[in-house]
Amino acid sequence: MSRLRDADIRARNESAWLLPKGNARTNHELRANMRTFDDSDEIDIAIVGCGAGGATLLQRLARAGMRAVAFDAGPFWDPDTDWVSDERGSHRLYWTEPRVISGEDPVPLGSNNSGRGVGGSMVHFAGYVPRFHPSDFETRSRDGVGADWPISYWDLKPYYEAIEEELPVSGQPWPWGDPHRYPYSAQPLGGNGEVFLLGAKRLGIDARVGPVAIANGRFGHRDHCIYRGFCLQGCKVNAKASPLITHVPDALAHGAEIRSDSMVTRIVIGDDGMAEGVVYVRHGMERFQRARLVAVAGYSIETPRLLLLSAERRFPDGLCNNDDLVGRYVMVQGAPQVAGRFDQEVRMYKAPPPEVTSEAFYETDPSKPYARGFSIQNVSPLPITYSEHVAAQGHWGGVLREYMRDYVHWAVLGALCEFLPLHHNRVTLADEKDRNGNPVANFSYTQCDNDSALEQAAQSVQEDILEAAGATETIAIKRYAHLVGGCRMGDSPSSGVVDSDLRTFAVPNLYITDGSVLPTQGSANPALTIMALAARCADHLIARSRSGGIRASAGLP
Amino acid sequence: MNLARRDTTFPAGGITPGQQGRFDGFDVLSEVRRWDLATTGVVLARISPDRELRFFTKDEEPTARALFDLLLGQHEEPKVPVTEMVDVRLKAGEMDGWRYEDMPEDGEAWHKSLADLDDEAFERFGRRFAELDVDDQGGLVQEVQDAKEWRGFNAKHLWSLWTRYACAAFYSHPWAWNEIGFGGPAYPRGYKNIGIDSREASERPERDAKDPLPWASRVEEAKKAHAARVTGRAPETSGPATLIGSSETLIGSDDGR
Repeated sequence: MSRLRDADIRARNESAWLLPKGNARTNHELRANMRTFDDSDEIDIAIVGCGAGGATLLQRLARAGMRAVAFDAGPFWDPDTDWVSDERGSHRLYWTEPRVISGEDPVPLGSNNSGRGVGGSMVHFAGYVPRFHPSDFETRSRDGVGADWPISYWDLKPYYEAIEEELPVSGQPWPWGDPHRYPYSAQPLGGNGEVFLLGAKRLGIDARVGPVAIANGRFGHRDHCIYRGFCLQGCKVNAKASPLITHVPDALAHGAEIRSDSMVTRIVIGDDGMAEGVVYVRHGMERFQRARLVAVAGYSIETPRLLLLSAERRFPDGLCNNDDLVGRYVMVQGAPQVAGRFDQEVRMYKAPPPEVTSEAFYETDPSKPYARGFSIQNVSPLPITYSEHVAAQGHWGGVLREYMRDYVHWAVLGALCEFLPLHHNRVTLADEKDRNGNPVANFSYTQCDNDSALEQAAQSVQEDILEAAGATETIAIKRYAHLVGGCRMGDSPSSGVVDSDLRTFAVPNLYITDGSVLPTQGSANPALTIMALAARCADHLIARSRSGGIRASAGLP
Repeated sequence: MNLARRDTTFPAGGITPGQQGRFDGFDVLSEVRRWDLATTGVVLARISPDRELRFFTKDEEPTARALFDLLLGQHEEPKVPVTEMVDVRLKAGEMDGWRYEDMPEDGEAWHKSLADLDDEAFERFGRRFAELDVDDQGGLVQEVQDAKEWRGFNAKHLWSLWTRYACAAFYSHPWAWNEIGFGGPAYPRGYKNIGIDSREASERPERDAKDPLPWASRVEEAKKAHAARVTGRAPETSGPATLIGSSETLIGSDDGR
């Protein structure tokens, strides 16, 4: 990327230049000098959750001069002391408070799809940041499944481009969806990526390196990737993007506060039907922060849970839930993964796990018996995660050990299948309570036939690619990836919890700015789309506040 | 780096569980001086966990030890201290962040399932689980894996609990990394030789060059030996039959080369 372009990015988001040069990864001075507000101050906005959605919104609004506080239930991480190059030692990065999973196809949570702490789940996401395709915004009209969004791809495109520069993203020119290029050229490949490209080439399947939120080079004061392979354990190098380093530093520099270790337990609604602020628990004490606007960005489990916990007189079944949509249409992507055995050493643990993608099967193929499609990426599980692949074959004892002893010879591909949004897949409150005495979430999930057909097709293609590359044996595992939906965007209160600006239909000064607003999920990893939606919502809030002040943006007379 | 060498009679290179492995001379701990402090602390703590159990009761301890040995094929010293590692985790209440609706919370599920395993052994064999032959233990455990429901548990969900905790502990231990050739933590050093058939200076080639058996045969042997252990029948192969107890003897053997 040119210096000129760097300067342009720096002028609108200085985060990468606010991090320290050298071997330390945290700007302690910036954090120590952070502006703080009192509970009694009426701040302009309280943002619940400081991940992809919350931190992006915070940075934009702080730059616009709004008095903004982002709450996060987890810690304000220091990569140097809090994160380790170790699978088992990284459990603190996940939401490990109790949750119940149910339905016919229960979806394990925790490490796979939850985050906790400033930066959210992007702290431990692999790093794939594809855009959605234009078709993802109108699957109901095109394919007769899912739902149409109240916005189109073109509404989001400028925000995709802005965020891709801020992360920044590396990858080859992208031929699928709306064809586009990336700010940085593609990364060099490890063994797993080489296997994928070779197999795909032999089958005539188009596969490309990227799109990955790791600069191929230095960016600002962020160091070059060192290919150590621990992207899913938090990047100690500051090479892989997460809001902790891409948006939080700039937000702090513009007067935002981040209140970490603060679990928001209720949104308070005043007599006028407007949100007045949030109740939160910090260090065991319950407190109340007054705010003119509230934005919830707690992701697809905690956002619906918070709304359900905030039930009150006018909303007996949960805030914004008088149309029974809160917690519904939660989606996960089917993520069947296939491992292949090669005579050569692959050593997939070296190089970042995100490398190569194919979106050749993304769109509906009229010749197939299912609607929509899937993408394929390489994943490079470390030993504990890989042992789940082996154990899933039914192996244990000596056979498990023998397969694991062969670890360096295996390469693993993973698919993301567009499972459909279904009314019965939902988050409710369980009987079990957390340590604050509030009911935990129960996430019930059951697949439909289209989902299962996609899953099978994606597995077959992955087996074909690995065999074409020379695999002598393959083993497959069914699993899930990502979470979106639960407070879907719609064009009316009967079709959505929020409108196209992410404002809730029921409470005019309450917004939801996370993945829970997605009506469909495509076959793309959701992080980039969540950030783009939050950035778009920020523009809406800023425009409203400029046209009539904060009270107008809050919907107040 | 002598940090983990508790017995100098082990072969040169790193310790591996049961002295099994195919990466002669590879010792992930030889790189400790190149790791960051936070990671070093977390990993080295696994070398010498607290031997005093606080979660598993005295009655549960022998059953837990036998179950973990079985699930992970740890029948010879040196053993990764899996029971101690799981005990620390359960005592700390460190869960995965979810439980199946039809399962109790993890700690309770462990207490109950270990008691059930002992009861099952007593009802069937008149002895405690830990007192059974390894073959008979294997048979009981295989029944859990094959069952739909087992002593009130959704057997699939119980199996998931057992194997998740066992594998997470075992494959977090540097001795297991030595066994499988995994490079371990790599910060701040990173890797410079990535790609197929590329090794760092600290990584070692396998013994494959003189390996008497290709991968497919090794797997077949392992499966036969496993079946023998589970059913109690001698394996039908004429080759070495001791793969599970010690693949060292099989793979290091000249037979069949």
